[in-house]
Amino acid sequence: MRFPRLRLPLAVVLATGALAAHGGVDAVRQELAARIEAQLQAAGAQAAATPPESAVTTPAAAAAGPTPMEAGKALWGRKFKDGRTLASCYPNGGRRVAASYPLYDSRLKRVVTLEMSINQCLKIHHEPLLEATDPPTMGALTAYLRSLADGRKVAVRVPAAAESHFEQGRRLYFTRFGQRNYACASCHVQNAGRIYADQALSGAVGQATRWPFLHANQALTLQAQIRDCLDRMGAAPFGAGSNEMNDLEYFLTYLSLGLPLKPNTPR
Amino acid sequence: MRPHFAIVAAAGVAFAPAVLAQKDQGLELFIRPDKGYCIACHQVPVQAGPATRSNVGPALAGPRMRELGSAALHELLRDPTRANPDTIMPPFGKHLLLDEREIDRLTEYLLALP
Repeated sequence: MRFPRLRLPLAVVLATGALAAHGGVDAVRQELAARIEAQLQAAGAQAAATPPESAVTTPAAAAAGPTPMEAGKALWGRKFKDGRTLASCYPNGGRRVAASYPLYDSRLKRVVTLEMSINQCLKIHHEPLLEATDPPTMGALTAYLRSLADGRKVAVRVPAAAESHFEQGRRLYFTRFGQRNYACASCHVQNAGRIYADQALSGAVGQATRWPFLHANQALTLQAQIRDCLDRMGAAPFGAGSNEMNDLEYFLTYLSLGLPLKPNTPR
Repeated sequence: MRPHFAIVAAAGVAFAPAVLAQKDQGLELFIRPDKGYCIACHQVPVQAGPATRSNVGPALAGPRMRELGSAALHELLRDPTRANPDTIMPPFGKHLLLDEREIDRLTEYLLALP
């Protein structure tokens, strides 16, 4: 060594520095861990303190505005310029029809979702169309319309002509994409029931029976939820009402065939 | 001698916050939703990070990390599908979720787990 007398002080200083650093790291790590844990507990406590069903019925929530069901019922009963209402476009005034959607329209040669059927009705009556995932309008309308089929069993049919759409939906469900390289099935089939980010992953079967989901007094359609999921996967979400999204919903709903509708699930 | 000692002492003092910052970054990358977000799937020993119930991936422990070694761990974080095409672990480096330096920080954090 060029400076033999420097050897000991050098070792002492480096060791002291490293020890100090190590102690500091532990302190920071513990502090950070405690802070994150406190945040997680606070979030958990907040979630636990929120009564699931009453989120849309408590006076506080009502004071913030009409519930999605109330808003949806009002929109449903609103008269068009020609004096008709949305109910005029559906058999039984809309009762028990939601369980049959999405359905394949052989004339359009595409899958028609409940939201699309609402917009078709509006178009026929020369009314302005609604954005497919807009919570205050389309979300609220689906909340009401699907509540008219509460308990009805999912009755989606896949005729031979619609098999390519069903297959496209199945393919999309199992295809991995996005920056995180997940498929829908990665979480909701392969890891259903496991805990991700401190929440149990729901299974694919039954997922399509529970929408719209109620969150912060807003109704989120299934496609809004899928888009949110895709966004979190680091994937550019398919457009709401696009063929890809409709086919995905078609496949996902078919997985719940025969299960009773239980819409307006709190989230 | 004295000037040299002062330089080395100063280096030692400067070294401490630098190491601290690096380790801190590793934990931050481990828990940030827009970065690794490893905490969503994996648990770590209580004193090493927030306690969760995550169980999509295996619980991580220092001995297993050190058994894998730095190079293998780095490669696993960069693209786990090379070792196991069926894994659902994101290819953090290949898909640019983390850059090389961030993977280094995360590797250091994992190797230092108790």
